[in-house]
Amino acid sequence: MQDSFSRPAPPILGVSNRVSLIFMVTLAVALLLLGRAETYVFDQARQVVTDLAAPVLELGSRPVAAGRRLVERTDEFAYVFDENERLRQENAELLTWKEKALKLQARLARYEALLNVQLDPSINYVTGRVIGDTGGPFVETFIVNLGHEHGVESGQAVVDSEGLIGRIVSAGERASRILLLTDLNSRVPVTIEPTRQRAVLSGDNTVWPKLEFLPAGSGVVPGDHVVTSGHGGLMPPGLPVGTVIQTENGDLRVQTFSNRNRLDMVRVLQYRFPMDVPEQNPPAKLTAPVPGEESEEGQPSASDQNGALGGTAGGTAGGTAGGTAGGTAGGVVRGSLAGAGGAGE
Amino acid sequence: MKPKETIGPTPAARAGKLALLTLPFLVGLFCVFLTFVPIGSIVGIEVAPAFALMAVYYWAAHQPETFPPYAVFAVGLLQDLLSAGPIGLWAFTYVVIYGVVQTQRLVFAGRVPLVLWTGFALTALLAGTIAWSVASLYYARVLPPGPVLLQLIVTVALFPIFATLFARVERILAPSL
Repeated sequence: MQDSFSRPAPPILGVSNRVSLIFMVTLAVALLLLGRAETYVFDQARQVVTDLAAPVLELGSRPVAAGRRLVERTDEFAYVFDENERLRQENAELLTWKEKALKLQARLARYEALLNVQLDPSINYVTGRVIGDTGGPFVETFIVNLGHEHGVESGQAVVDSEGLIGRIVSAGERASRILLLTDLNSRVPVTIEPTRQRAVLSGDNTVWPKLEFLPAGSGVVPGDHVVTSGHGGLMPPGLPVGTVIQTENGDLRVQTFSNRNRLDMVRVLQYRFPMDVPEQNPPAKLTAPVPGEESEEGQPSASDQNGALGGTAGGTAGGTAGGTAGGTAGGVVRGSLAGAGGAGE
Repeated sequence: MKPKETIGPTPAARAGKLALLTLPFLVGLFCVFLTFVPIGSIVGIEVAPAFALMAVYYWAAHQPETFPPYAVFAVGLLQDLLSAGPIGLWAFTYVVIYGVVQTQRLVFAGRVPLVLWTGFALTALLAGTIAWSVASLYYARVLPPGPVLLQLIVTVALFPIFATLFARVERILAPSL
């Protein structure tokens, strides 16, 4: 430190240093161009590196998770009285809603039985922890500590307790990458309630993904509910996504329910596209119920109703124990058209 | 006994010196991993400071011979592979930054902390501009500059802490240079 002024000036650039610098810049440019053209090899390399780095990241994410819990606890502690009051009120409101929901559920089950509606296939899920951040300002992805070992495949939907987060874009043995709804490569087909308008939720690296392909005069207003439509078969229909908001320049965008800044435990839904489920015969089952047939196999038995309720729960809340348990053979086959029926009507 | 043998380093010492010389590179790799640890989520903000940029800048300004261009490239490539962005983006940015900072080394020779910090702020701005331009070209659309700006501000703010840590490493290295 002291002798820094008396030291002779360092050589600016050695020749070999300059040559290797130029070589490295060229190599980086070549990689960029190659990566644009040929993605398979790079994706494989990326997956291998992610898999190898997973234990390190897992190690690093543990103290972070603990730190976050501590901060959250402290936060909660400060507002515990207000929060309690708010929850009391909300609970009172929810109890009335629960009454209504139970009545509607019973009525729905009766109608479904009458019409012999095909139910959603039950959805299994696997829960994991986010261990890796996006690590850059140009991409919106997370790394989760689940992989092929846990049955995670590319394309599966990822939810947290609030709603849809994104989907798996690449799956390794132990770790996988989640593409968030906000990433500029993310496109998710959605339905907007209550108008049942279809649109594509398209990320652009901003906080609010936008709604594309929404016809003019669609009647969609800020505050409407956005759920997945299930088109394309990658995601189950009916997963809560967010609320429609309007930006200053009049664009309709979506405020997602999930808070990406607080992502910790996430659920990967192992949904199967209804078309992959064997033994389906859509028209015959959807058209008017034949009385004789109904008594034979369409009569709602207790187990079928369980399957129905479980299946619905699986479709909306992202799979519950009931949803999984309800996935009897009947449930799977019966659910074969639910995706198309439920979403497209 | 020849005097050469008594003052020459033993093989163990030589191995130790080699290991020491890889220390800046290891610190660089560590910085890359640190970028991917969701530290920001503790306080509920989505930002991953560019820790590796600090390492690249510090060593390019102080001891480039301990952090050669291929090591810089490797650090950038690891970051590219771990992130889902264009492969080569950070490798390119870091190597260019390394070259630029090296040509300005004389400015940092005095090692006044404020000069070093100001230099880093300018370097971060340049790095952000390069990375943003390359990524925008790669995706063929103008990316929102907000996230990269936020990242740069946090990175520059955290730099003094890391510079102190790097200086420690440099002091450990000093005898072997």
